[in-house]
Amino acid sequence: MAAYRADDDYDYLFKLVLIGDSGVGKSNLLSRFTKNEFNLESKSTIGVEFATRSIRVDDKVVKAQIWDTAGQERYRAITSAYYRGAVGALLVYDVTRHITFENVERWLKELRDHTDSNIVIMLVGNKADLRHLRAVSTEEAKAFAEREKTYFMETSALESLNVENAFTEVLTQIYHVVSRKALEVGDDPAALPKGQTINVGKDDVSALKKIGCCSA
Amino acid sequence: MDRSRGINDYEPGPVPSESRVDRYGFIKQNVSNSSAAEGLGKSREARRVRKWRKMIGVGGSDWKHYVRRKPHVVKRRIRKGIPDCLRGLVWQLISGSRDLLLMNPGVYEQLVIYETSASELDIIRDISRTFPTHVFFQQRHGPGQRSLYNVLKAYSVFDRAVGYVQGMGFLAGLLLLYMSEEDAFWLLVALLKGAVHAPMEGLYQVGLPLVQQYLFQFEHLVREHLPKLGEHFNREMINPSMYASQWFITVFSYSFPFPLALRIWDVFLFEGVKIVFKVGLALLKYCHDDLINLSFEKLIHALRNFPEDAMNPDILLPMAYSIK
Repeated sequence: MAAYRADDDYDYLFKLVLIGDSGVGKSNLLSRFTKNEFNLESKSTIGVEFATRSIRVDDKVVKAQIWDTAGQERYRAITSAYYRGAVGALLVYDVTRHITFENVERWLKELRDHTDSNIVIMLVGNKADLRHLRAVSTEEAKAFAEREKTYFMETSALESLNVENAFTEVLTQIYHVVSRKALEVGDDPAALPKGQTINVGKDDVSALKKIGCCSA
Repeated sequence: MDRSRGINDYEPGPVPSESRVDRYGFIKQNVSNSSAAEGLGKSREARRVRKWRKMIGVGGSDWKHYVRRKPHVVKRRIRKGIPDCLRGLVWQLISGSRDLLLMNPGVYEQLVIYETSASELDIIRDISRTFPTHVFFQQRHGPGQRSLYNVLKAYSVFDRAVGYVQGMGFLAGLLLLYMSEEDAFWLLVALLKGAVHAPMEGLYQVGLPLVQQYLFQFEHLVREHLPKLGEHFNREMINPSMYASQWFITVFSYSFPFPLALRIWDVFLFEGVKIVFKVGLALLKYCHDDLINLSFEKLIHALRNFPEDAMNPDILLPMAYSIK
């Protein structure tokens, strides 16, 4: 399942997935990014949800098709099918619940088992507004992200903190990989046909990851 | 009307006053509430209730006898909708949960009080995320939330292989609006273990095997009954797991208007899961001409946000019944 046809104008179409334990705030991160909404009375996600948003990177329009997945382990039977063809992932944990951070390792494995090895991954510590309840330190998460070569950011969907940055960073990194790759083969990146899945080149991403994470 | 402030001060949202709640107890989102049941004349509704009472007998004493003698009458009446004041009782009678309750005295209490469940934290996390706009479940640690927790915990102990799976809360929540905790628990058991119809537990077991099966079957039914739309979905790479998982997992109770969900449940409990497929097909059929012109992203949106007239039970259900 790659990215699907979209009808409006864009230069690039990237498929992203939102994964992580149940109740860490995936759906609210998505609604904050795509609709600038936060819902205190949100229901738990059953199955998958979907939303899109386009942003500008350099002078290009980059469109994200984002799949938000149910977090409970049992649902992976359905949701793992949605990892296929994803070029970016936001792996979310809740900074107030350490167990959700501990489970990140399993999510990473799940992700790497089901996606191209070059997928751009952002580790996201959500609910950073709950300062007095924090159970996962920034340093701990940062160290983990460096070890695992993923990007890292702390966010608050409630306070609209870093949400834009987290998604934009993932999309920008994918864009850089793709446009550089296209340049290398002497192609005009803008000439890529609409709706075609962008496969991120292997070498490019490892090069890119050495630049480091935590641009926040 | 008094507002029960205090406990609720903790909650960020405003506490709604009684008048902002619809007849089912949900906080009104907007003022477009012309549901079919409310449109029914008072005297007509009273006549219906009298007929139903006769059919049921005191506390359900005549029910089995009546169903045996006139199954078609019962089926027809249920399809028209069970009167709201009798719904809880009738649901228990048609689902077979009454018998389970009588055969297992004290079991529910045992499960709630003395057993512990590995799913307790999972359940707690979802409690406030189940029917969050219904007054009964809104109050943190209020009676609604406590009952919901108890039923789900009891079930997760009763069947440890299933435990607790997200989505079950909507089933339990819906039932709790019409019956006691213990009754709701046994109805859940009747459904998942298959007291009358095919067991539903496969919807929640590891691998969600029955969800996968139903989605597969639904895709084929779409192609069979609505070939043009099936072809269009195929071209646009739409598959039922993108929109229909919750239809099956929660029997339409997750995101559908409550009056419609209740009418579907009336038929679902009496006739079984077939009605879920039929309602799904009817929805697609009703919106066929719009859907056929939409591309992927708009399709996904449309399949999760059906127009209000499609959600009218008196329009949708007759369409569903006509699908063979």
